[in-house]
Amino acid sequence: MTVELGHFALILALALSIVQSVLPVLGARRGDDRMMAVAVPAAFTVFALVALAFAALTAAYVLSDFSVQNVWANSHSQKPLLYKFTGVWGNHEGSMLLWVLILSFFTALVAFFGNNLPPALKANVLAVQAWIGTTFLLFIVATSNPFARMNPAPVEGQDLNPVLQDIGLAVHPPMLYLGYVGFSVCFSFAVAALIDGRIDAAWARWVRPWTLTAWIFLTGGIAMGSYWAYYELGWGGWWFWDPVENASFMPWLAGTALLHSALVMEKRSALKIWTILLAILTFSLSLLGTFLVRSGVLTSVHTFATDPGRGLFILAILVLFIGGSLALFAWRAQSLAPGGLFQPISREGALVFNNLFLTTAAATVLIGTLYPLLLESLTGEKISVGAPFFNLTFGPLMIPLLAAVPFGPLLAWKRGDILAVAQRLMTAFFVALLVVGIVLYRTSASGVLSAFGIGLAVWLMMGALTDLALKAGIGKASLGTMLQRIAGLPRSVFGTALAHFGLGLTLLGIVSVSTFSTESVLVMKPGDGIRAGGYTLRFDGTDPQKTANYTEEQGRFTVLNDEGEVVTDLISSKRFFPVRKMQTTEAGIKTFLFSQLYVSLGDAAKDGGIVVRIWWKPFVTLIWLGAVVMMAGGGMSLLDRRLRIGAPAKAKALKPRAAV
Amino acid sequence: MIFWISAALLTVGATLLVLLPLTRRVKAPVSDNQYDVEVYRDQLLELEADEKRGLIDHASSEQARAEIGRRLLKSAKAAQADEAVIRPAKSAMREWLTLATVLAIPLISWGIYAKLGSPELPAQPLAERLSRPPDQSTPAELIARAEAHLTLNPDDGQGWEVLAPIYLRIGRPDDAVTAYQNAIRLNGDTAARQIGLGEAMAAAAGGRITPEAEAVFRHALELDPKDMRPQFYIIDGWMQQGRLTEARDLIRKLLVEAPADVPWREQAQAALTRLDQEIAGDAPDVSDIERTGPDASQVEAAAGMDNQARAEMIEGMVAGLAEKLKQSPDDVDGWERLVRSYVVLNRPNDAIEALGRAKKVLSADKIARLDAVADDLGLVHEPGEAEKN
Repeated sequence: MTVELGHFALILALALSIVQSVLPVLGARRGDDRMMAVAVPAAFTVFALVALAFAALTAAYVLSDFSVQNVWANSHSQKPLLYKFTGVWGNHEGSMLLWVLILSFFTALVAFFGNNLPPALKANVLAVQAWIGTTFLLFIVATSNPFARMNPAPVEGQDLNPVLQDIGLAVHPPMLYLGYVGFSVCFSFAVAALIDGRIDAAWARWVRPWTLTAWIFLTGGIAMGSYWAYYELGWGGWWFWDPVENASFMPWLAGTALLHSALVMEKRSALKIWTILLAILTFSLSLLGTFLVRSGVLTSVHTFATDPGRGLFILAILVLFIGGSLALFAWRAQSLAPGGLFQPISREGALVFNNLFLTTAAATVLIGTLYPLLLESLTGEKISVGAPFFNLTFGPLMIPLLAAVPFGPLLAWKRGDILAVAQRLMTAFFVALLVVGIVLYRTSASGVLSAFGIGLAVWLMMGALTDLALKAGIGKASLGTMLQRIAGLPRSVFGTALAHFGLGLTLLGIVSVSTFSTESVLVMKPGDGIRAGGYTLRFDGTDPQKTANYTEEQGRFTVLNDEGEVVTDLISSKRFFPVRKMQTTEAGIKTFLFSQLYVSLGDAAKDGGIVVRIWWKPFVTLIWLGAVVMMAGGGMSLLDRRLRIGAPAKAKALKPRAAV
Repeated sequence: MIFWISAALLTVGATLLVLLPLTRRVKAPVSDNQYDVEVYRDQLLELEADEKRGLIDHASSEQARAEIGRRLLKSAKAAQADEAVIRPAKSAMREWLTLATVLAIPLISWGIYAKLGSPELPAQPLAERLSRPPDQSTPAELIARAEAHLTLNPDDGQGWEVLAPIYLRIGRPDDAVTAYQNAIRLNGDTAARQIGLGEAMAAAAGGRITPEAEAVFRHALELDPKDMRPQFYIIDGWMQQGRLTEARDLIRKLLVEAPADVPWREQAQAALTRLDQEIAGDAPDVSDIERTGPDASQVEAAAGMDNQARAEMIEGMVAGLAEKLKQSPDDVDGWERLVRSYVVLNRPNDAIEALGRAKKVLSADKIARLDAVADDLGLVHEPGEAEKN
């Protein structure tokens, strides 16, 4: 019964979602409060129903109910329990259900926290959320139903793709979807403003927490995905400019731009129309990202299933939402009141600069991702746009942007003084220059580019610290006062500094890994040793292992230091999953502070040895650590208490209120 | 039944939840502009706090205050204007929409579910299915149960014994091999089990009697020399490998030794006749492909080789065929295979050369056949050479 009840709940959610799509908008247009009020209970109910459906599917997975086709195709009774849970979204149908679950969750959150929103805006936002929800529910029910049954039921499932049998599946897709779907709220706010033809004074402020939340999760999702690919695929790379990666990176770039332009809008009521457009674009890219990997256009580990009927539906959804919202924008944007003015050299100007570069970068990635697909569908010619393209286009775009980052937070609003700011950044500049010098000296001037890359990273980090130090009043106040002032700073200031510092950390990791990592591929026999990054790696032999759903060939290694003492042992293995007849590599990774020793097993050689790939990756963990710091910055900003705005009381209660 | 009641309850509950606000009076609305006024007030307070913290200097704070003040006044004025507008309390459209909603929710949900759902199918968690009484289970479930039992009690020889022939019958020969091996290990070495094992190994190799399977059958023969089945499997294997003379001699021997009334005599006699003809070269060369093709062990070896070694092995086989055709050139099938092999190995010149050599020795109708093959493969050749012969 549970399975069918889940199926029914999903369909009922669709019916309610349709009601939520229609009544509140009509109510808002006619000024009918009762019709607008439908949105809130509908949002809660849809969430509850989708959650029920999701729980029913999860139960079917955990209990190995192979009468559900989706469970049969993606699970196995001998699979470890964790992967029975994560396997729910390790396939097309289930992941779409997760998408809708998160969407309805965010919609319910808007309904819950939206008491301070003007009723018309709230009704419109919830209705637009329901448009998205209805479309996706329709897509699931019509083309990707996870509740399709099989009778008679097989007794054993076909197992989950072994590459996905990893803790990464528990974290990466939900986080990524929280990011993608989080931007739907910004989109809905933008479309609601366009429908209503007015932007409320606090629009940017209401949108900001959602942008931040989505951005934090998307940052985490991308970083997690990158680390997962790094340790699971066994190639030692952390970013491949693969279309699937780009698909998640584009909304991140646009979302980062949105984050910054919403700031201008919130503080200065400027860039209103641009921010609305960015909100639409960011979610459009999220949709594109979701579907690029779902439609089967791209063949990769993410392509769970390909089906032409689905592809057409997906195309229709993209045209409807992206085309529809942009048309609405073109039609209504003029009716929105433009915002305040500012000088080119000002905080606003700096943020415009940031936006220009970020959106251009997003466009570059978009071209690099879609062009090969278009070319192939038009001419049948297959080309591969890889790292060289992105290094030539994306790289140069990033350099001026990154160099300008420390200036932004130091410039004053409305009109700034760039010379004064430059003067205040002198210390940071000289520290960065010093680091460049040291790197050049240590690498005997061979790595000029990498030296400057590291210098840029240091400049970013020092710039972030300078901002904090100056706001604390360094040089003007005593240490005690400085500490006091630091404690009194709004959290968003820390958020900015942390996020920019994290960016520097990531850049530092990227530059040092790209230029200083060493790689060796060789056949090793037990007892053989090889030098890597100041350590010696000794191969001790292989060891077969067996668990319930795979067999494993473990390569055992010992890491020795220069004195010949054992530092640690290391296991790198290859797993074979008999149900799917697939092999996976489990790279052996040991972390030494920020650097990593990465060992991956290849094929066995004839003479009893085995091919081993060994990488020494200096400062590689900074890439992801930087992302974590950026997320912490976002979280800090989210906690800024000044975000709370009270709902207006009735006219009679309009007395001065205490700051909240 | 419980399902239908639950589904009905869900529907009623969901409909009521969205219906309530439509029928209930909402608090008197506040104008949107009033919200803006509130925001600007907040901004002014924030500005003060920022100034106190020393984040902005007094001059820019004053400037900002003036700007926010202007907006606040404008919004406050607009809010007052809004107060005057009276909103409709009753609306015919709303009543119609309420009715439509009440109808739409059950109609849409039950309509779609009726088309897509399988309400009669109960949930079937695996554990529950496997604990049902045997007479209510499907054969697949029974096998799964036996497997689950054997995972926990891998030393239950009787279990393996029962499962092994079932595996073989349902087309899981690899599992059958394991099951027979376990049965032999636990229940003892008998001819019947060895024969089962050999059959399973042959089935796993796609019907080929591999050298390993042959060894198993020989072992079975030692255990029970009277059982004829291992003999026939061994003969079968020899025929597959092209060891025709040995096969014929063994059949002859068996026929001589056996009593006159054995049931297999007629079949064996027929096989003997056919073998005699083949060895004499009269019968069409049906087993030729198998005879000169790689045997199972060679294929297995090829799978384990790297590309270089595999290419060498194939080249060796082709060279062997070419040599054989030099000895006995009147073999159109052999020539055809050679030409095809050269094309596959991307040696078109050799293919054409072989074609030429074949035409010198073959009769006209056979040359025509070869020409057709060459056309098929897209080889440039000179037709009409047939006339010269």
